[in-house]
Amino acid sequence: MVDEFITVTITVNGEAYAFTVTPRTSLLDILRDQLDLTGAKVGCGYGKCGACVVILDGEPVRACIVKAGKADGKSVRTVEGLAAKDGTLHPVQEAMVRSGAVQCGFCTPGIIMELVALLERNSSPSKEELMAALEGHLCRCTGYEAIVEGAELAVELFANK
Amino acid sequence: MAFTSIGVSKKRADAVEKVTGQAVYVADIKLPRMLHAKVLRAGVAHARILSIDTSEAESMPGVRAVVTGKDCNIIFGICIKDQTPLAVDKVRHAGEGVAVAIADTEAQAAAACKTIKVEYEPLPHVVDPLEAVKEGAPQVHERNGDYEHVPGFHAEKGSNVFHHYKLRKGRAADGFDEAEIIVQGRFEFPHMAHMTIEPHGAIARWESDGGVTVWASSQGPYVLRSVLSHMYDLPMTKIRVVVPFLGGGFGCKSDVVIEPLVAAVAKAVPGRPVRLILDRKEAFTSSVVGRGMKGRMKIGAKKDGTLVAIEAGLYFADGAFADTSCNVVTAGGHNCTGPYEFRHCHLDSYGVYTNTPPVGAFRGYSHPEGHLMCERLMDLLARELGMSPFELRRKNFLHAGSINALGQTITAANGDLNGCLTSMEKAVFSGDKPVEDDRYVYGRGVASLMKSPVTASNAASCAVVRFNNDATVTVSMAGIEMGQGCTTVLAQIAAEELKVPYERVRVIPRVDTDLSPYEWMTVASMTTYRVGNAIVHACRRCIIRLLDNAALVLEVPEDELEYDGEFVFVASDPSRRVALKDLVKGYTHPDGHCVGDPVVAVGSHIVRGLQTPDPESGQGNCAAEWTFGAQACEVRVEKATGKVEVTHFATALDVGKVINPQTARGQVVGGVLQGLGHALKEEVLYKEDGNLANPVIGKYNVPAVSDMPGKQTVDLLETPQEDGPFGARAMAEHPIVAVCPAVLNAVQDATGVDLFRVPVLPDELKRAMDEKGGGA
Repeated sequence: MVDEFITVTITVNGEAYAFTVTPRTSLLDILRDQLDLTGAKVGCGYGKCGACVVILDGEPVRACIVKAGKADGKSVRTVEGLAAKDGTLHPVQEAMVRSGAVQCGFCTPGIIMELVALLERNSSPSKEELMAALEGHLCRCTGYEAIVEGAELAVELFANK
Repeated sequence: MAFTSIGVSKKRADAVEKVTGQAVYVADIKLPRMLHAKVLRAGVAHARILSIDTSEAESMPGVRAVVTGKDCNIIFGICIKDQTPLAVDKVRHAGEGVAVAIADTEAQAAAACKTIKVEYEPLPHVVDPLEAVKEGAPQVHERNGDYEHVPGFHAEKGSNVFHHYKLRKGRAADGFDEAEIIVQGRFEFPHMAHMTIEPHGAIARWESDGGVTVWASSQGPYVLRSVLSHMYDLPMTKIRVVVPFLGGGFGCKSDVVIEPLVAAVAKAVPGRPVRLILDRKEAFTSSVVGRGMKGRMKIGAKKDGTLVAIEAGLYFADGAFADTSCNVVTAGGHNCTGPYEFRHCHLDSYGVYTNTPPVGAFRGYSHPEGHLMCERLMDLLARELGMSPFELRRKNFLHAGSINALGQTITAANGDLNGCLTSMEKAVFSGDKPVEDDRYVYGRGVASLMKSPVTASNAASCAVVRFNNDATVTVSMAGIEMGQGCTTVLAQIAAEELKVPYERVRVIPRVDTDLSPYEWMTVASMTTYRVGNAIVHACRRCIIRLLDNAALVLEVPEDELEYDGEFVFVASDPSRRVALKDLVKGYTHPDGHCVGDPVVAVGSHIVRGLQTPDPESGQGNCAAEWTFGAQACEVRVEKATGKVEVTHFATALDVGKVINPQTARGQVVGGVLQGLGHALKEEVLYKEDGNLANPVIGKYNVPAVSDMPGKQTVDLLETPQEDGPFGARAMAEHPIVAVCPAVLNAVQDATGVDLFRVPVLPDELKRAMDEKGGGA
């Protein structure tokens, strides 16, 4: 069994790259293995935990189940691309820090990217919309309380930025 | 005493690293020339290995080595040496490793594994601990009883019982004669998965000096070093264990799990790092699970509610290897009384080999299992007696002067049980319970709790505190930051003791046994207490050094000097002073000559007076300290479906001084939701053939955001721990301990159905409600 290779072009955090990969390669593999962007995590590998969520052409996606071909010609944003060059955190990052939403941190980048995607689509989401966005993200540490508070604070900080 | 750095919600030290994706976890580490391992799992629960053919795998593209159990037949363990890195002659659970392929890529290693042919002779298997203790049950370890072990464990040779802990206080038979009322029940707490979002991972590289370096998601790097030292007869100087951030632990990364396997197989490719990151399925099947108890308990009391006797038998399905779980068994035995005084105790706790994944430490360390039993029975007893569940508990609480099951005398400084219970009464029971409506029935339940840390009797922590040239402070220690916030809390402790701003202190979160001072393990919720004490000790020594240096400059004896965090000054004349930054590397006079010494100090803490339980009575000073608490909740049960919703969950713990209110609350609400997972959702299921039936997220259901209780109340009482740093005591595991009985007591209050098993699933509860309704 010899895998054929395909070449895909993906813009990652504003920079264009070409990758030669097998069709089975996931977007997450590309980000983590080829670009060393390890902020997106492997929690399950089948799209159920949310730890690998990145933003693909404005939509939050589970990078572990997005095949390379599906990302071809598209633009990806990862948690590494959020903060300003001077280190100023994105409002969602800032909100997570302030509300104590970070414990082990493994689920954190996925949650942050989910919320960034939501706020960019809808800057004043309802509580229900926030909860719906968080529903697919498993966190085993926090009991979610501080994450929900962080999401609510993020709405506020995002509006005032 | 006014504090500036503790008792305040200081910003988490590791938060920015984690929200920017910079924090490094083991799977993020990439090393030059790194290879990838994949493990072939048995898939059969119990079988003799007749042959393994790896020839095809060895010739697969990219494959560098294929390793089987015969290539690494080295027995290891911490408490009982009963396992090998890979199965050798026999497979003891379906997730056990049989062979490993090492290749240039993970995909190549996985492809190679698929070509390995193993011939098995299937053997009868056993997953249920009550079946496993029966005469004639399949024998998981023929050599049970002959394995090398540390003191305090008692195997029953020829059976599957690798440890029988018994506790005898008074004479239970007399106690039950004296009792006027007896309640009893049979309970079940199935295996639960830790489900850390980060699966276990390790990288190992054999070095040119014959030593080995391991990068691991481990809560116990020093224990791992000892195990590797024993396995390979290597001096500890040649073993280096490096631990990056952990993506959650909850006990499943304590002791040793996959690391000996990775080290063993990496020996086949010396000089090259070999990486193994478990996939999610393997995290379920092939790391460790928690809980897994079936038990019975009987409580006898007088008509006035005074408890007299308790008898219990706890059977833990501890899986294919005993190691860590022996201590879980002991702790389950002596803590299943709950926080109550019984004059007569007859408690038997059995660690039983079964053909299931090994049981490891899990937040709460068998206290949730024991408390499910005793706290359900306390409610049954209260009902039988027509007493309030609060009054019955209060009447029997351990209090200053009472003797617990272990024979230890409780003091007021151990904590305020009454205060915790009263807090719960106010939080959940003060108003009227909602009345039944078309859709729901409503109920409220309460449970009390106690927990002691279970540690080695010489568990120790060390810390190094260094002043830098700019008078900032760097603290090294080897407590593992796995989300609990230890680096934040410990920096607060150091800042407080040194009287410097929190922002000037950095506790290094990464641990490296070549560089970090010794730490037994990050378990038992003891990091704030034990490492905190070590840091306080080191800080005090630093201050002595500062005073020594200043004394040379000011030419005044040390005992006439004072230190305020900025200056050392003469007590009687504060204008005569030296700034801290001028003292940290000794003091340099204007002409260049230097006096004094750099300010750096080592501190340490070791638990004192801990004993191995007496083999006959099971008693002794086995618990270094106690944390007391109570939990309560209000639930509503949907009549049509049996679905339980927790509308309010409340926890009161007497944690001593709260160092950081935000992280403390985070521990409690997180622990409660894990407990609610146990109570209402989670269970490791087995197929007929002994394979796990649900090793998949979605089939094994951990709580999501929609499972949060409608409201959580957290009340932290602060009776100071006499020997804790600033009076702090252990608290991180504790919020999980009494969640299940509190929920089951509330479900009973709502529905009239007495349950003795978790999780409470809607269909089962609906059935029980229908039966009860039908019979009424």
